[in-house]
Amino acid sequence: MTPSVLAPVLHFVQAGPLEIFALPFMWRALLTVAILAIAAGVVGLFISFRELEFVSDGLVHSVFPGLVVGSVIGGSAGLLPGALVAAILAAVLFTLIEHRGGVGADAAIAVVLTGLFSLGVVLVSKQEGYVSELSELLFGRLLTVTETQLWQIFVVAIVAVAIIGFTWRAQLFRSFDAAGAQAAGFRVLRSDLALAIAVALLVVAGVQALGVLMVIALLTVPMAASRLLTRGFALLIPVAILLPLGAGIAGLWLSFEWSTSLGATVSPGAVVVLLLVTVYVLAALIRTARAALRKRRAA
Amino acid sequence: MTAARDAAPDAGDAQHCVTPQSIRSESINAGAPAGAEIALFLDGAAFGYTGTARVERLTLEVPAGAAVALIGPNGSGKSTLLRGILGLADLTAGSVRVLGETPDRARKRIGSLPQADTRDATLPITLRQVVTMGLYRSRGALRPIGRAGRGAVADALERVGLSAWASHRFGELSGGQQQRGILARALVSDPQLLLLDEPFNGLDRENRDVLLRLVRELRAEGRTIIVSTHDLEIAQEACSHALLLASGHHPNQPGHPAAFGSVDEALTLDAVQHAFQDTTVELDHHTVTTTRETE
Repeated sequence: MTPSVLAPVLHFVQAGPLEIFALPFMWRALLTVAILAIAAGVVGLFISFRELEFVSDGLVHSVFPGLVVGSVIGGSAGLLPGALVAAILAAVLFTLIEHRGGVGADAAIAVVLTGLFSLGVVLVSKQEGYVSELSELLFGRLLTVTETQLWQIFVVAIVAVAIIGFTWRAQLFRSFDAAGAQAAGFRVLRSDLALAIAVALLVVAGVQALGVLMVIALLTVPMAASRLLTRGFALLIPVAILLPLGAGIAGLWLSFEWSTSLGATVSPGAVVVLLLVTVYVLAALIRTARAALRKRRAA
Repeated sequence: MTAARDAAPDAGDAQHCVTPQSIRSESINAGAPAGAEIALFLDGAAFGYTGTARVERLTLEVPAGAAVALIGPNGSGKSTLLRGILGLADLTAGSVRVLGETPDRARKRIGSLPQADTRDATLPITLRQVVTMGLYRSRGALRPIGRAGRGAVADALERVGLSAWASHRFGELSGGQQQRGILARALVSDPQLLLLDEPFNGLDRENRDVLLRLVRELRAEGRTIIVSTHDLEIAQEACSHALLLASGHHPNQPGHPAAFGSVDEALTLDAVQHAFQDTTVELDHHTVTTTRETE
């Protein structure tokens, strides 16, 4: 690390990030990350419990053509409706494929997601200046989130959390014991559809800010790290919220500082995700060290 | 059951020995006194999935308060029958009444212990949370569990002897403790009918004895129990009745009953031989190797 790269760190220590987040575009970005962190903490619990990371990735890819079509039809105002329609359609389709089961279920999902992603790329490449548009769709535009978009993200995230809240008991029972939940009278297909739609909504909420390729990290990494760091059920969601929140603050501030002091344009979404992944790696190391220590004590 | 029953049945035994042929054509009332409440009524019922029967020709009545051992080899349709009683397998023929209602309507009065392999023991949830799940259906999406619910959970845990383990992670319990925990989950809603699918599989002697004692106690309280098992000894120790299921002659043929009645009536060498083919079976301390029947 060169001294010039360390400059923002020194600045952070001296001044703190408060003044940076007083800037309207920065607090909007921070608020976006906070909303997404809270919603992902709740929805991510069941993505992790049900091991739906692959399906979530599929949903993210499927949203891409929706974003492109929405953008073509209505510009930036068309992004959310386009993504919403594509995500909900894909959520229902994937859930039905999963329930149909059989050896082809995973292959069918893979075909659908790559097919839809390719469709999105073909559609976007027909636009003028598609490279910058593609880049924005893939990597997001966290620093240019408008107040309208912020409200959209808030409402969609609230609906996703509400779906999980209303089906919480069914989700927990089904995650632990699908046969037991069915025997108790829960309709597993209904719970699965509800979860898939909640994930789809969260993808839609996050995709404008973080981009197609980054939003999956927010859905899966915080809860994976939280499960490594905590043993108790009660702490899983709070920790899974705090980790991306911390990574969000640090990531936004770092990318801002690097842009202003070094003149380097760094994708803030990518920095946030990178920090999140670093936290996960650290959590895995801590977990391994703890296990080794316990083994040594027991020996 | 006496060892004499292992020998070819005499004329007197023939009255009690339910042959496969008689099962196919007769309705069997397993010793229920006239007017007694019937917990399970099957009339020519067949259960399966996507229109294909996995178990068929089921015509029988189980009186309330009976404990029925559901015995049969793999593939004979034991689990499908249990799921059919819950309304989770398709009724492809005949009719079924559970506690006087359709399976869907009766489900809230049924407690179920599914096979152990359906659970994800890696989830970081406590035994208390698992037992509380037994109240989720009655409480709906948002109604709090409340003091009464918490009391019911504590009672259920005490009943299965796991109060001290309530705060432990479910995945850290032994296989036997997990089974007892799931039984507590089934009991917490005070069900009239209990369906236990292979609860004794993989249990050590101590946990097996605890579970057997619980089955006997629950039966003494007047609950109806249907428990699937491969173990004939369990049927003899804890059950009043036995339903023997035989596999079809070909892999795709549905299972069918080989015998049903009181344990002594149903567990005859004839019926066991019909149900278990090419299997070594221990019956009344005699080890018998059954032979494959020809069509």
